[in-house]
Amino acid sequence: MRRAATLVLVAAVVAAPWLVAAVVPRQQRYILHVLIFTALFAALALSYDLVVGHVGSLSLAHPAFFGVGAYAAAILATRAHWPFLADLPAAALAAAVVAALVGVPLFRLTEHAFAVGTLGLALVAGIVANNWVEVTRGPLCITGIPKPVLGLPGGPTLAITTLPGYYWLALAALVAVALLYRRLTTFRLGRAFHAVRDNEPLAGAAGIDPLRYRMLAFTIGAGLAGGVGALYVHYLSVMCPEEMTVALTVNLLVIVFLGGVGTLRGVLVGAILFTALRRGVS
Amino acid sequence: MALLEIRGLVKRFLGVTAVDQVDLAVEPGELVSLIGPNGSGKTTLFNCVTGYLTADGGRVRFRGRDLTNVAPHRVARLGVARTFQQVSVFPRLSALENLLVFVQQHQEEHLLARLLRTPRLRRLEAEAVERARRLLDLVGLSDKADAGAGSLSYGQRKLLAFAAALMPDPDLLLLDEPAAAVNPTMINQMKDHILALHRQGKTVLLVEHNMEVVMDISQRVVVLDHGQKIAEGSPEAIRRDSRVIEAYFGR
Repeated sequence: MRRAATLVLVAAVVAAPWLVAAVVPRQQRYILHVLIFTALFAALALSYDLVVGHVGSLSLAHPAFFGVGAYAAAILATRAHWPFLADLPAAALAAAVVAALVGVPLFRLTEHAFAVGTLGLALVAGIVANNWVEVTRGPLCITGIPKPVLGLPGGPTLAITTLPGYYWLALAALVAVALLYRRLTTFRLGRAFHAVRDNEPLAGAAGIDPLRYRMLAFTIGAGLAGGVGALYVHYLSVMCPEEMTVALTVNLLVIVFLGGVGTLRGVLVGAILFTALRRGVS
Repeated sequence: MALLEIRGLVKRFLGVTAVDQVDLAVEPGELVSLIGPNGSGKTTLFNCVTGYLTADGGRVRFRGRDLTNVAPHRVARLGVARTFQQVSVFPRLSALENLLVFVQQHQEEHLLARLLRTPRLRRLEAEAVERARRLLDLVGLSDKADAGAGSLSYGQRKLLAFAAALMPDPDLLLLDEPAAAVNPTMINQMKDHILALHRQGKTVLLVEHNMEVVMDISQRVVVLDHGQKIAEGSPEAIRRDSRVIEAYFGR
């Protein structure tokens, strides 16, 4: 019975574009747009929960990593004409590298001081995005970011140009992030993360290096956020500094704490409640 | 060669010398107790040895290896286990997981192997689960294996923390007041556990206030007062030592 229900749910999620077209043909575009946002926000929230929910570090810097990935993809795609499949990992890597570099000094701070330090980083990143006009074009935004094209050079390619196509791409990204999230937060890695979160001195006595696991969650979380940033700008085809303000942190905090911090299902429910229902009601 | 060798250890807190030039050697297989009035520096000494505090002077050696100011997780991986005075468990992990977490860092460091969950890792995990169940059985918590550690009683958490320290099969065990604030039955249980470890050839350094326990099981007793070592010897000798009596009861 449960199994059957799960299958129906999975089928409905995958077939959503057709269902929407059949049920509400006149609002199809809007609803698909909301669903795409929901999937991207859910993936972003999962990457955020790795840090907040699993190693218990209240980072407020997530918009910065999302922004680094978004700008990296936008710049590589428009100026260097990198294909989508190259700029996506580059965006994730750029965000992860930035996180690894700023993580070293930031993790010298603990608890509230860490939160404030990461908030400072997010603010600075926003200022840089607004003012480093040569690179980010500042408030003029980077425009004309091409639609994603899947496929290897020389081989057959598949351009994602329709809303359903983008919906499935976003869904695939969400599934990939969710699978990685599961891998990271269960078994030995998850146990080490949770040990650091629940009792740091005791984690040390267990042979766990708390800093190493905090850095690991922070860096991987940032890398995933950067990847989501790349998907986001390829979808909207424009990247502006307003996309990475502290308001994004607030949204992420609401999603993560609304559904249930530290749980896959909770974060997914939070993302759906926050993104889809909010837009559906208004 | 002594397993643990502390020489001239000094730790100051804002002008208060909590540990003052302490020398202490523990031979392999020995069961040594560290006693002294409250605030005499016993726990501070533990914290310096296990990397939780940075010593202001002196040296700590473990199997001839310098342990001075080495980070706690490195000390643990070298084979030194410790328990904490305040009962310390991972409240949101199950009792079984509380034990498992204590052995995994000693076995596999590679991130990729952990993500892929290699067959070798799965085998190690299965062995760890088996060992953890044996230890839970030993301390009488086998029916609590899947219970959240936060839901256990004080005494049960204390036993769980003790079992966790045994999980990586440490060469040296530092126990900080294992018999404090538990009922008499459990004190006897704990005493038996420590003696059993001693018979297995484990080296144990014990901080304890319960004199009955200390005098019953220790081979050697070291007494600290105001951070200084004031006496050292067999339980019988310590019982009669005038400096010790003075430290505890005043002149």
